[in-house]
Amino acid sequence: MLELDRIQVSYGAAPALWEVSLAIGAGELVCVVGPNGAGKTTLINAIAGLNRVRNGRITMDGRDLTSLAPHCYCDEGIAIVPESRRLFTGMTVLENLELGSYRLAARPGRAQSVERVLNVFPALRERLHAAAGTLSGGQQQMVAIGRALMAKPRLLLLDEPSLGLAPSIVLEMFEVIRDINAGGVAVLLVEQNVAMALEVATRAYVLEEGRIAGEGAPSALLATPHIRRAYLGER
Amino acid sequence: MPSFTLLAQSVLSGIFIGALYGLLGLGLSLTWGMLRQINLAHFALAFLGAYLTFQLTHGAGWDPLATLLVVVPCFFLLGASMHWLFARFAITPFNSLLVTFGLTVIVESLIQWIWTADQRLMDSAYGAVRFKLGALYVPLPELLTLVLAVALSLAAWAGLRYTDLGRAMRAAAEDAPIAAAFGVNERSLSLLLSGISAAFAGVAGLCIALSFTLAPSQIYAWIGVVFAVVMIGGLGNPIGPLVAGIVIGISESLTMALTSPAWAPLVSFSLLIVVLLARAKKI
Ligand SMILES: Nc1ncnc2c1ncn2[C@@H]1O[C@H](COP(=O)(O)OP(=O)(O)O)[C@@H](O)[C@H]1O
Ligand SMILES: [Mg+2]
Repeated sequence: MLELDRIQVSYGAAPALWEVSLAIGAGELVCVVGPNGAGKTTLINAIAGLNRVRNGRITMDGRDLTSLAPHCYCDEGIAIVPESRRLFTGMTVLENLELGSYRLAARPGRAQSVERVLNVFPALRERLHAAAGTLSGGQQQMVAIGRALMAKPRLLLLDEPSLGLAPSIVLEMFEVIRDINAGGVAVLLVEQNVAMALEVATRAYVLEEGRIAGEGAPSALLATPHIRRAYLGER
Repeated sequence: MPSFTLLAQSVLSGIFIGALYGLLGLGLSLTWGMLRQINLAHFALAFLGAYLTFQLTHGAGWDPLATLLVVVPCFFLLGASMHWLFARFAITPFNSLLVTFGLTVIVESLIQWIWTADQRLMDSAYGAVRFKLGALYVPLPELLTLVLAVALSLAAWAGLRYTDLGRAMRAAAEDAPIAAAFGVNERSLSLLLSGISAAFAGVAGLCIALSFTLAPSQIYAWIGVVFAVVMIGGLGNPIGPLVAGIVIGISESLTMALTSPAWAPLVSFSLLIVVLLARAKKI
């Protein structure tokens, strides 16, 4: 479904991604792991249209997205849960959710979409009219995921959704991500919580210093000594 | 001590002038708060609108309110094109101040060239109409200004709060890239907002023409107090300028009634400083 063909992304003159190729099939749950500063956020933001791709191509079902304006990416059914959530903090929870369904194709049945999000995250129901900035970290993450679900995505991008959350909430988040994927939405998950990410993923990539350093089934990656040493703290 | 009637009349005229401050501040506040552009030319636009109203009413015999049918769409286009140019040349907030100051001078010269530097007073059917409210006089032009200011401020508030476009504008003002990821086309919304702001300046121009003598240099007379109103009201807040404008208007006119007119400007800026200090303490 989604295909990246040797994409290169730079900040100013400094390249952050070098010829990264990656593919996600419909319904897959693909995970990208890598150390801090490897370029994971840069990668996921490029797929959401937030970063300009300098070289290479991003295609969705064969359609080239590379030259599209940033606001057109979501029309391909791509929605992002960005790093550190980036809610519209001055707006209410409900307004954040409804903004998620701003694209025309997601507007019909908005009330049902909100209801669906509230069924996934019942804790949000009584905070609907609170300013999003006043919520706890876990609840803000729920709003960020809910906002993305409101866009009715085919591909959901999640950038470190467990960052800064209490362990019990992290478990719940992973359950939710698994459920979303089981509902037919392809997921690209970037995680520092490598053990947990590899447990839910159907396939994984390793990104190091802006390059793909490995790819395969989680079980295969978990068997690699390099991965065990670098990401799972083994000696 | 002035009589009760005189004080009440002062409060009333404070409300009326305050409404005009608020109406002038509305567009300025929206583009400043949401697009990060400080549009000094907003005042020049308002006076251009006032002179156009004067021309159509005085020269061509139109009803003053009917001039809005021409002024509003023209100013919308004017504001949108100005913003298009700013975006085209990637003008920063500070540079926007300089560029729009330049524009102000250009518009002033243009007005002077077309209508000369002489004072102009619009004779309209509305000018002489006054209602009596108990012992108080309510002039129609001022009442019209109040109604327009309240209506436009509320419309802007409701638009930003309840419509998809308005919410998208607020979202883009807070985090444009993420708003774009959800389909918000920031560039076209900015054009829309700039157009609406300029149209508000045009409406303010009608109100100025209805109640005041026009002279090109008057453009600068409003800048200080309206900036104070915008800052007190909160940047980007659609109701703030109206509320702050009325508070300042009443304080000014009471000061004038109780002391002397010379003290009036002191009031608005003392209020501004107090509010800014109080806000700084809260943070
Ligand atoms: N906005 C930015 N401007 C300049 N450099 C950046 C920016 N964002 C990230 N970088 C750099 O790009 C590289 C990749 O960063 P990032 O994608 O955030 O990595 P990760 O998400 O894997 O931690 C890092 O070296 C980082 O310093
Ligand atoms: Mg990151």
